[in-house]
Amino acid sequence: MKEKSNGLRVARRAALGPYGLWALLFIVVPLIFVAYYAFTDNDFRFTTANIVRFFTATSEVDGVITHTYLLIFWRSLKLALISTLICLLMGYPIAYILSRASARTQKILITLIMIPMWMNFLIRTYAWMTILQDTGILNSFLRMLSLRPVHIIGTEGAVVIGMVYDYFPYMILPIYSVMAKMDLKLEEAARDLGCNSFGVLRRVIFPLSLPGVISGITMVLIPSISTFYISQKLGNGKFYLIGDAIEGQYVANNLHFAAAIAFILMVILLIGMALMQRYANSKAAA
Amino acid sequence: MRKIIELKNVSKAFDGQTVLDNVSLDIYDNEFLTLLGPSGCGKTTTLRIIAGFEQPDEGELFFLGEDIAALPPHKRNVNTVFQRYALFPHLNVFENIAFPLREKKVPQDEIREKVTEMLRLVALTGFEKRSVTSLSGGQQQRVAIARALISHPKVLLLDEPLAALDLKLRKDMQQELKGIQKATGITFVFVTHDQEEALSMSDTVVVMSEGRIQQIGTPIDIYNEPKNAFVADFIGESNIVNGVMLADRKVRFSGQVFDCVDEGFGKNEPVDVVVRPEDVLIVPKGQLRGIVTSVTFLGVYYEIIVDIGGFKWMIQTTQFVDVDEEIGLYIEPEAIHIMKKSEYSGMFGDYSSFSNEFDELSDAESEADE
Amino acid sequence: MKPAAKVYTALIMIFLFAPIAILLIFSFNSAKSLSVFSGFSLYWYRELFRDAETLGAVRNTLVLALSAAVLSTAMGTAAAVGIFRLRSKVLRAAYDTVTNIPMINPDIITGISLMLMFVFVGRLFGAATSLNFWTMLIAHITFCLPYVILQVLPKLQQMDASLPEAAMDLGCTPFRAFLKVEIPEIMPGIVTGLIMAFTLSLDDFVISYFTAGNGFQTLPIRIYNMTKKTVTPKMYALSTIIFFTILALLIMTNLIDTGPGVEKQEKKERSAASKRRTKLAVAIGAVLAVGMAAVLFLGAPKKPVLNVYNWGEYISDGSEDSFDVLQGFEDWYLENYGHEVEVNYTTFASNEDMYAKLSSGAVSYDVIVPSDYMIARMREEGMLLPLDFDNIPNYQYIGESFKNLYYDPDNLYSVPYTYNFTGIIYDANRVDEADTGDWDLLWNPKYAGQILQFNNSRDAFGTAQYKLGLDVNSDDPADWQAALAALKEQQPLVKSYVMDEVYNMMESGEAAVCTYYAGDYFIMADAQAPGVELSFYAPERTNYFVDAFCIPTCCQNKELAEAFINYMLEYEPAVANAEYICYGCPNRLVYEDGAYAEDMGEEAMEILYPNLDDFGEKYEQFAFRNLSPDMLSTVNTLWEELKIN
Repeated sequence: MKEKSNGLRVARRAALGPYGLWALLFIVVPLIFVAYYAFTDNDFRFTTANIVRFFTATSEVDGVITHTYLLIFWRSLKLALISTLICLLMGYPIAYILSRASARTQKILITLIMIPMWMNFLIRTYAWMTILQDTGILNSFLRMLSLRPVHIIGTEGAVVIGMVYDYFPYMILPIYSVMAKMDLKLEEAARDLGCNSFGVLRRVIFPLSLPGVISGITMVLIPSISTFYISQKLGNGKFYLIGDAIEGQYVANNLHFAAAIAFILMVILLIGMALMQRYANSKAAA
Repeated sequence: MRKIIELKNVSKAFDGQTVLDNVSLDIYDNEFLTLLGPSGCGKTTTLRIIAGFEQPDEGELFFLGEDIAALPPHKRNVNTVFQRYALFPHLNVFENIAFPLREKKVPQDEIREKVTEMLRLVALTGFEKRSVTSLSGGQQQRVAIARALISHPKVLLLDEPLAALDLKLRKDMQQELKGIQKATGITFVFVTHDQEEALSMSDTVVVMSEGRIQQIGTPIDIYNEPKNAFVADFIGESNIVNGVMLADRKVRFSGQVFDCVDEGFGKNEPVDVVVRPEDVLIVPKGQLRGIVTSVTFLGVYYEIIVDIGGFKWMIQTTQFVDVDEEIGLYIEPEAIHIMKKSEYSGMFGDYSSFSNEFDELSDAESEADE
Repeated sequence: MKPAAKVYTALIMIFLFAPIAILLIFSFNSAKSLSVFSGFSLYWYRELFRDAETLGAVRNTLVLALSAAVLSTAMGTAAAVGIFRLRSKVLRAAYDTVTNIPMINPDIITGISLMLMFVFVGRLFGAATSLNFWTMLIAHITFCLPYVILQVLPKLQQMDASLPEAAMDLGCTPFRAFLKVEIPEIMPGIVTGLIMAFTLSLDDFVISYFTAGNGFQTLPIRIYNMTKKTVTPKMYALSTIIFFTILALLIMTNLIDTGPGVEKQEKKERSAASKRRTKLAVAIGAVLAVGMAAVLFLGAPKKPVLNVYNWGEYISDGSEDSFDVLQGFEDWYLENYGHEVEVNYTTFASNEDMYAKLSSGAVSYDVIVPSDYMIARMREEGMLLPLDFDNIPNYQYIGESFKNLYYDPDNLYSVPYTYNFTGIIYDANRVDEADTGDWDLLWNPKYAGQILQFNNSRDAFGTAQYKLGLDVNSDDPADWQAALAALKEQQPLVKSYVMDEVYNMMESGEAAVCTYYAGDYFIMADAQAPGVELSFYAPERTNYFVDAFCIPTCCQNKELAEAFINYMLEYEPAVANAEYICYGCPNRLVYEDGAYAEDMGEEAMEILYPNLDDFGEKYEQFAFRNLSPDMLSTVNTLWEELKIN
């Protein structure tokens, strides 16, 4: 095709140019560096030792020889999945309630949901320690009501609470924004066609809100799988997660192994996301 | 008449899909020209090339004899009224209309004067401060016209400007647009898929299909002397049947020989024969006989479908007939129009699967496409 | 809303705001504890406003967030416009994919990837520092960009495509059409994008952690680096102020575009509202840009700068009515040398953290404060400069016991700052006096679930090695395996592996036994809750450590650095630091001073300065020394093995 330039195309290139260059230099190239470090040793000679180590390193856990990093990864994945599921179960109804409230209420509630995001997350996590520890606010409250105190701090439960708390708004907001766009008449139509409340939810609202759900899941799962602060503070340092492993290797100055763990994590996540996207697309098509 | 715009052998493709195929067209001073055709025929692309939003892949575009193919839109003395008006929602009525003048740094007093004049022209005096989103469709339409006219372009391009209006308003606006064109003397290039609109407003109608111009002519020419089956079918209802030219002014179709007024075809040349539904008369005997298969009451007349030897004809008549009744038909020689065979032969003019509803449905679809 | 929905919404709000309520309340605590509320006081607010370092970090955080938000919004908006106009499907898909990468990549990977590249490129060009404000800015812009693009792109798609065409048709150049028509149309998206970018940048810790460089410390990093000492209610006070500022801003402007839900009703009032919003956004943008420029260019110091890299909470900084040592130095320098200097003070969380930054060549500091074993390592690796003691006459005050130690046998590279040792702190109300005295208390099943262990590998292994009578510096992996076995055996008894959390847990009675550094015992004892009575002892075999001033090879101003070290040995700053940190001080001016002894109290003097003549000997025998890289890697692996159990 013959292109006659008349300013429009030039303007378009000028707009996209800086970003294209930026994305190449600071998004694409750094990822190549992760791969480069992952596959080299301290003298930058090619090696697969770092990658092999991730899959083969073993240690004794409860008297059983176990693959160290595979176990760490599995734990991180498990906690992240649980947190994501809880976020979804808790966030979905609130997103629905929000999207059907009056405009004024929506505005106020959305603002309220977003406010905690402006508070430093390290400090918020610290505050949870004050609440959850054995002599903390929650247990004082339970004692006041003559109830049995609960032991939460230092358990997987505490880590999950921390993750759910920190990433909760990231689940609500995308689902809410999809639901708010949904035509209210669809619900009425479904009822008119004989659906009960659950049927409306299952057959109309949920399928339509799927794009929001997918992006909510992504936005919660990704940060919670890689966190390294929450587990240190709320897990009483007892839950060593994949983020802790990367940070630990970085601090121990093992940049190449840190890069290898990061590289493997990245590959796994990219494959996972691609699969999820494909599932969502096939759902949407069906 | 002075030639203002000239397209010479213009072609354009998007993603390898040809949308304009070797189009040549002259547009004259003070003319109301309509580009008519179904969606996807290339009429809007033609308009956008004239406006400067698209560049032709091949061919030339002249404006008063000067090649402007590479000139950006803001340097062309041509303005557009967009399909959905494209009023700037962040500006009020006054500022929308004043937009081109502000761009040219015209003094405030002059702007006020000109905008007021324009508002008077489109009958919106007093609406200056209103937000454009609070206006009705017709009012928005007027603002869009005023905005496009305020810098006195040589040519005003209108891209299906009436499509979003309801029927009654559309009729009024048709009159009004025609009035504005007469009053200002500006050339209007009007794009529509509505043949009635095209016939009632235009000086010249350009019928397009599949990226090519099918016929250029006055509304009367186009209606009475369609060049091929496509034009015949697109402009009003037509029965189009296969025929054979026996000699000058003698044609055979539907198993009968008819007198007609056309000459200059070869002996025994196969042709398309067009008969408009209102030109078929119901008579006791008649040249043709057929069975009525459906009758629809349309107020002024009945629309009936008649099966003549397996081919369904549409006939408009004020006479009442019953379904299954056998009737005789008569066609005057002047009402028989002969066309040369074309690529469109056999595609149109048979009412076997006709229903009113179906027709409206496809109309609505084509509107939604554009 | 239905009643059930109301109740549910209320519960969610309680969940969201419970921690915020907690920090609101504890910011008014009169005591230092974050878990025991002793009474209402504005003390921590006063402290906050006296804390120049924290306020500096707040300023840095704001400068960074504003710059990143404005720049990423500008570039992201342009990018969205460009992507929107792309006709090629292949290019479009490529841009979509690349834009998604920072969103689906965990922060930790984005941070590491950028850090690796910056360090590599910095080394390639032989730059003195490859990480600095600009690399952090680049990192922040990079992770904000996709969010801006994803806010603006839908607004472009919703926009009637003929609007910019209409503008061009009416005489605008493409650029003018963009300014006058497209920008107002997509303004809600741009404003939301700007706010999102600002929020993300403000709260980011992980990416900043990996890309932070020389002397430019943001608030999250400063908080993270407080992990050796404690996070004070001062930080809660700061959070409270941030909370109310945001609340006030939101109420005042009511500006937040709450998304599609409001758009429905918005349509009608849209033109007026969007006009107002446009003006407001332009005004905010202008203020931000001007403010940023002012901070960046006017704020840039023209006087010499001394870059100091120290542990978090490891200097008397003017808080709690103490003497502000850094301010003191700047005054003292002006007085003695006749011109102004500025101290740029940054903190780290561990020796390894500091070593990682310095050895990568990513940063440049003039004065650092490593621990002994790290000094040995850095000296061996040629990372330290010999000191010119003519410029440090006050070195004469250093006690003889603290000279000629193994890490610097000829006293060439270091000037001791503090010394201390590891001991055991316990709640006398719950722990039997008979069980105390040695390391076995940490393994005593009577106190199962009430014992705290170190959350750092070297200290934790140390406790086991001292208990078992092993050499803490052994290069025989079997010794370390034995220690690991002991730690695994201890694991079921351990309540928590801690660093700074130890303060809260001991003060509140959450735990009964812990091992930590002797000086920190006094801080805990000061803040103990009613019913808790903390007590301390040091087992015979324990780790003694010295933290000392050194000058790294990347130093830019050695004489100034030496002047600083010399000043730190003067009476007033030395006493102030010793009283603030509560660790032992190797400076005779301090430990032989009556007023200091009185301030510290008898118990503290006894614990901190038992018999200084013995110090050298015990130190040589028990102190941690540098391990070979292979051993370090082994220890790290063993530590991971413990932690995954």
